[in-house]
Amino acid sequence: MQAQSMQRTLLSLVLRLLLLCMVATGKCSGKYHELLLQLQRQADLMQNPSTLLDPYIHLQGLHSPILKGSCMERLGDFPSEDVLWRLSRQDFLWTLNTTLGLFLRMLSALQQDLPKAAQQQAEMNIRGLGNNIHCMAQLLRGSSDPEAAEPTRPGPGPTPPPPSLPMLPLDTFKRKLRICEFLQGYHRFMRRAGQVLRGWGERQGRNRRHSPLRGLQRAAQRTWPFPGLRRLAPQGQLPR
Amino acid sequence: MDDYHVTADDIFWKISRATVSRDQYTVINRTSSSVTFLNIPLINVLLTCNIRMFGQINRSVYGIRIISGLPPEKPENLSCIVNEEKKMMCQWDLGRETHLETNYTLKSEWATEKFEDCKAKRDTPTSCTVNYPPVYFVNIEVWVEAENALGKVASDHINFDPIDKVKFNPPHILSVNNSKELSSILKLTWSDSRFRSFITLKYDIQYRTKDASTWNQVPPEDTSSTRSSFTVQDLKPFTEYVFRIRCMKEDGKGFWSDWSEEASGITYEDRPSKAPSFWYKIEPSHAHGTRSVQLKWKTLPPFEANGKILDYEVTLTRWKSRLQNYTVQDTKLTVNLTNDRYVATLTARNTVGRSDASVLTIPAWDFQATHPVTDLKAFPKDNVLWVEWTAPSEPVNRYILEWCVLSDKSPCIPDWQQEDGTVHRTYLRGNLVESKCYLITVTPVYADGPGSPEHIKAYLKQAAPSKGPTVRTKKVGKNEAVLEWDQLPVDVQNGFIRNYTIFYRTVIGNETAVNVDSSHTEYTLSSLTSDTLYMVRMAAYTDEGGKDGPEFTFTTPKFAQGEIEAIVVPVCLAFLLTTLLGVLFCFNKRDLIKKHIWPNVPDPSKSHIAQWSPHTPPRHFNSKDQMYPDGNFTDVSVVEIEANDKKPFPEDLKSLDLFKKEKVNTEGHSSGIGGSSCMSSSRPSISSSDENESAQNTSSTVQYSTVVHSGYRHQVPSVQVFSRSESTQPLLDSEERPEDLQLVDNVDGSDGILPRQRYFKQNCSQHETSPDISHFERSQQVSSVNEEDFVRLKQQQISDHISQPYGSGKMKMFQEVPAVDAFGPGIEGQVERFETVGMEAVVDEGMPKSYLPQTVRRGGYMPQ
Repeated sequence: MQAQSMQRTLLSLVLRLLLLCMVATGKCSGKYHELLLQLQRQADLMQNPSTLLDPYIHLQGLHSPILKGSCMERLGDFPSEDVLWRLSRQDFLWTLNTTLGLFLRMLSALQQDLPKAAQQQAEMNIRGLGNNIHCMAQLLRGSSDPEAAEPTRPGPGPTPPPPSLPMLPLDTFKRKLRICEFLQGYHRFMRRAGQVLRGWGERQGRNRRHSPLRGLQRAAQRTWPFPGLRRLAPQGQLPR
Repeated sequence: MDDYHVTADDIFWKISRATVSRDQYTVINRTSSSVTFLNIPLINVLLTCNIRMFGQINRSVYGIRIISGLPPEKPENLSCIVNEEKKMMCQWDLGRETHLETNYTLKSEWATEKFEDCKAKRDTPTSCTVNYPPVYFVNIEVWVEAENALGKVASDHINFDPIDKVKFNPPHILSVNNSKELSSILKLTWSDSRFRSFITLKYDIQYRTKDASTWNQVPPEDTSSTRSSFTVQDLKPFTEYVFRIRCMKEDGKGFWSDWSEEASGITYEDRPSKAPSFWYKIEPSHAHGTRSVQLKWKTLPPFEANGKILDYEVTLTRWKSRLQNYTVQDTKLTVNLTNDRYVATLTARNTVGRSDASVLTIPAWDFQATHPVTDLKAFPKDNVLWVEWTAPSEPVNRYILEWCVLSDKSPCIPDWQQEDGTVHRTYLRGNLVESKCYLITVTPVYADGPGSPEHIKAYLKQAAPSKGPTVRTKKVGKNEAVLEWDQLPVDVQNGFIRNYTIFYRTVIGNETAVNVDSSHTEYTLSSLTSDTLYMVRMAAYTDEGGKDGPEFTFTTPKFAQGEIEAIVVPVCLAFLLTTLLGVLFCFNKRDLIKKHIWPNVPDPSKSHIAQWSPHTPPRHFNSKDQMYPDGNFTDVSVVEIEANDKKPFPEDLKSLDLFKKEKVNTEGHSSGIGGSSCMSSSRPSISSSDENESAQNTSSTVQYSTVVHSGYRHQVPSVQVFSRSESTQPLLDSEERPEDLQLVDNVDGSDGILPRQRYFKQNCSQHETSPDISHFERSQQVSSVNEEDFVRLKQQQISDHISQPYGSGKMKMFQEVPAVDAFGPGIEGQVERFETVGMEAVVDEGMPKSYLPQTVRRGGYMPQ
């Protein structure tokens, strides 16, 4: 167990380092609340099954109530709500970024199984979310707010290991169901992430004196939230 | 250059075939020259380098095409819009024209990545739509780069969240529901953007009644938050409303969506809010003591019916006792009523309830209506016909307005409407048409019955008459003409005829126009030229224009009426007067005229024949001998005296008879009575005093014939001329009584019975059947006369015969007389009458008796 814990910790540190080292080309919004609101709404938008799961169910013919009932999130595909709540903001952003990065890879692998428009829109949404995570990370990194390093909800718990891509069965039907479960888990994960982000706003309201905006302007490091993912339009600097 | 043996000085430049001024040249070295252009007017020109060889030969050695233009200006006003579920489109202003090929590229990037450039198309260089789906809630930075051969420039960068530039899809109205509890509300439900769950939207709701064109707005503050339904209040019962809705972000960023598709709903019914308009019409009835009354009412408009009217209930009451109820689904009811006063009530019913009652008083048959409205006016305004009046002094319950189209072709079918008693101005709510004359009647209705109606005519919109008046002449004088025309039929008037205009002209003259008041139907054109053709037409004018009628032509006479009579009558009178005066003058101067025209003819009474009598024969013949000394006997008169056997001849006539016989034996021809110069063939007659008296009482005409044998005066006649005269000399008795003559004929040659007596042998009738010896003898004598003269004589006789109808009777009378066929037997049917003036056998007043022909007047021979 200790070995596994150490392994995860190391991996987490590596990913965190990568996140912080991503290259940004444009200007991030320097407004924390605006950025937080965008993150919340992005999470709200992405948690809507109509953006991905419903088109998939419709395309695959899985819209019978029985099948819909069996299309439930499988544990372990995505971090649980409890885990997310116990992460610090920076860790939350890292976890969110890592998880969506893996999901993006999964989407690329599922191009044949998903409606193209939905798949493209979902991919763009995830990339947009990564952009906002990057900007928020910049803000938090430059912030002297101690809450940035604290979990949203205090409590013991290790930093969750990054989710792994599901092993898709060879059986077509089971594969469909597995993908359905995975997509279902994605929407639920986004819903949980949105709740956590809203918790940020609530906590921020309670501790307004500790405004994270004070040190945001110092954030200058360029990061890329999705390691291993190719940029749409690579700039002069590549992810490190 | 060396090959051509030229230097830089021999180089000259041409631009578009025009040599550039040497001021712009710069000699770089011995073989090089440059040219500088400060301003090239043309965008695309050809510049050539030329040399002049041997001082006279020009040669182009090189050329380039110069394309001039401007670097791009910085694009301005960059803005983007994101149509929901579509890709982002940005647009900008180009700036000045560059005249060069300029590329415009829309660039966009996030903080973490850059998107593919969007190159504007050539035909739409001011906009571009990116090819990636929009990502909301992520700030994106957008700018435009303009680039051409002369430079590259970028617009200002704009950074925005696409959700702030979004134009949502319009909401979709799901339902419009009414409420049984409240007939004045409708609930609208809709579905809208998927963003509504995490962004706040605001809405814009509009509604209108189905037939209205303007929209009512739901207050924006009532729809400033995300919602999916809204209840609209204060609507009219049983009215169909149409709704539409749009949405946008609550903070106002972005764009309003398009309007949704319209959806309609009907509010629930309510009881009729108003009593129906109620009126009546009394129809002629043949039954004594009863009236046929048609009660009529108007259907309530939807906003007053508040539902579907199921039926109407009519109640008739006479003398406060309920008479009868009627439930009618129609809008009229005909009942027979007595001549008493009635009160009728009317209610309308729908599924919710009944309306208030409309009460109408039908007065008794002898009711006298009074108190009409005053100052009734009707005028069009805003495409409706307004009616205005002044209320009577008496309190009025309501007014009834009736109207109908006045037409000569169709009867007046009235329409009507009811107004409250407080109204004194309203418009007619019927389907009125333009150019029709409406007869409008306003009747005030009092508690005890209707008042006196007032009428007025009006047009919704006037137009020019569709036909012009037909003018005609009523009377045409030398210098004036009275024109008349008929009033235009109301069907073609199309408006109130304000005036007429009469246009008249001659063929060559200018047209003259005369305006005539519309109340006239005739007009007198004066100062016309006589004997001239005039063309006249007439136009009728309304407020909107006029229309010409057909042209009419007339010609003025040369003379005025009575002018000819005024000339002719005096002239005739003058002529008549002159003639009369002439006649009077001639009459007074007849002797003088006679003297000039007719010479004095010896008075037979004074002739020597008076001496022929046996008492004085020698004198006579002596005289003859003196006159004709050559011995020719040219003038012998033979007088046959018709004797009446009942009356003995006088002695002198007896001697004359003897003389006659002697003369017959000695002379072969007869002669007329006359003097020495003429021989009269007249047949003298001898009558007794009684007969003479009788002859004097008759007015018969006696023809005298004179045979002028020896010419007149000194003229020598070529033939023996028979001259005939007419006179009113009374006929002798023998001529008056032809039977006597008949008797003579019968006894011709029988002297013993009734001596045949011929006064003149030449005086004979042509009677072939009665040849007479004496006639034969005379014919033998006459045959020696020139035949030409004979024809002339015959013509004269025939002419006399024709011109003397009265004489024809005589002719007949003498047909019985044996005639000598002196002119040959070839002339049949012609009667020759050589009548002589009857001789007066009796001499009156001391005049000597004579058997010579008599003139009318004594003392002379009256020419005939």
